[in-house]
Amino acid sequence: MTDLVVRAQRGDRGAYALLATEIADRFLAVARRILRDLDLAEDATQQALLAIWQDLPQLRDPDRFEAWSYRLLVRACYAEGRKQRRWAPNLRLLPIDEPVSNDDLSSVVDRDELERGFRRLSIDHRAVVVLHHYLDLPIDRVADVLGIPVGTAHSRLHHAMRGLRAALDADARPPVREVAQ
Amino acid sequence: MSTDRDATRIVRSWLRTDEHESADRVLDHVLALLDATPQRRSLWPARRIAHMNTFAKLGIAAAAVLVVAVVGYNLLPANGGVGGGPAVSPSPSPSPSHSPTQSLRPEPTFTVGAFPAAGSLSVGRYAITENGVPFSLEVSTTGWRSDGQQIPPDGGAFTKSSGTPQSVWMIFWSIDGVYADPCGHVPGPVLSPSAADLAAAVAGLPATDIITPPSDVTIGGRPAKHVAIRFRDDVGCSPSQYYMWYDDVRCGGDDPCYRWVSASGQRNDVWIVEVNGAHVWIEAETLDAATPETIQEVQQMIDSIQFE
Repeated sequence: MTDLVVRAQRGDRGAYALLATEIADRFLAVARRILRDLDLAEDATQQALLAIWQDLPQLRDPDRFEAWSYRLLVRACYAEGRKQRRWAPNLRLLPIDEPVSNDDLSSVVDRDELERGFRRLSIDHRAVVVLHHYLDLPIDRVADVLGIPVGTAHSRLHHAMRGLRAALDADARPPVREVAQ
Repeated sequence: MSTDRDATRIVRSWLRTDEHESADRVLDHVLALLDATPQRRSLWPARRIAHMNTFAKLGIAAAAVLVVAVVGYNLLPANGGVGGGPAVSPSPSPSPSHSPTQSLRPEPTFTVGAFPAAGSLSVGRYAITENGVPFSLEVSTTGWRSDGQQIPPDGGAFTKSSGTPQSVWMIFWSIDGVYADPCGHVPGPVLSPSAADLAAAVAGLPATDIITPPSDVTIGGRPAKHVAIRFRDDVGCSPSQYYMWYDDVRCGGDDPCYRWVSASGQRNDVWIVEVNGAHVWIEAETLDAATPETIQEVQQMIDSIQFE
């Protein structure tokens, strides 16, 4: 991959096409997991791939391409996440009629609660969770990708996982469902 | 009650479901755009500078200053806009105020350009129409970019240093009310468009510290209210679940637009300008790490607003 990076840095479009083909699916998967929306994830992936092409000549160490490119992807996710966050349609929560017993909780409920809990997290926190638990990056590399201190990365991961665990424990709270206002 | 280990296992499993995304469509689009997308190249690679001796560096620096000064002087139009700034129609414009750090830039003469949907904002004056009220404002420093937000019907949002703790957002829109129960997402009643009512409602939001109580100001020669609040750490829910204010009328569709808190501790300055029975709502959102220079730039932009 380093050879492709160096060639692309020199303006070799063919090399960049190969490089982008190699990383695009993974980028989309990461963006989709951070943003929880395929359209936004595609936009973020496109932004990131174009930004990588534009800024590649300024990458001093080609061996750091992976961390550097993920950082651009996360930045693109921030930008797309802003759109979603500010102007998402409103929802309100209403109690459902029938309580659900703890025994009825299934993995589907877990997924719903996780989805809800994850969407409550900021993009900062989502990025740490996805980079660490989806890409399996050690926390010091997560910090490197995001350009934050390791302690901050630890703190964000802890905060995020606490929120997700609370979402999983939602069976202790009155169940709710979402309806469009 | 799940244990930490359970939660981690479930989260990891959940993140790995549905791993069938194909980026082919995105890839095709990106590759089609490459020819039209130039790479940004460093004119003076740092590596070369690092190997030069001090006299050579000083010589290059002096030459660079001279070149910038000469080119800037030659580009300075006798009567017109600076190249690269927003295009279009002529307009009377005041001289911009400059921070002391921008001494090399030729004094720009502003023209008015339409506020771009997205992309970097050149130094210049931009026209925005919000809630039927046309006005313009001046961007007098580099680094700002339009976020590409579609703020119904025609507002704008732009940012500097987005995605960093130093980020600042400026948003131009109109609202109808604030949330009576921000964490419960219960909207309060639609308020009158008076600046006083709206500013008082902002100041009354729970779990906020008032930095500047509603106060009378003048923006572009129009009466306005300014209020500044900071969201405390104990807002009672996660920041993204704290809803601040909403636009129930102009957003289109059946659902209102609304804003929520980006991070605890954030500061929101709101200016509400009354114009011919309508109002323009201007927000500046900053985090703790926003620099005094950025705050000053925001105020300069507010001070530069002119209504038609």
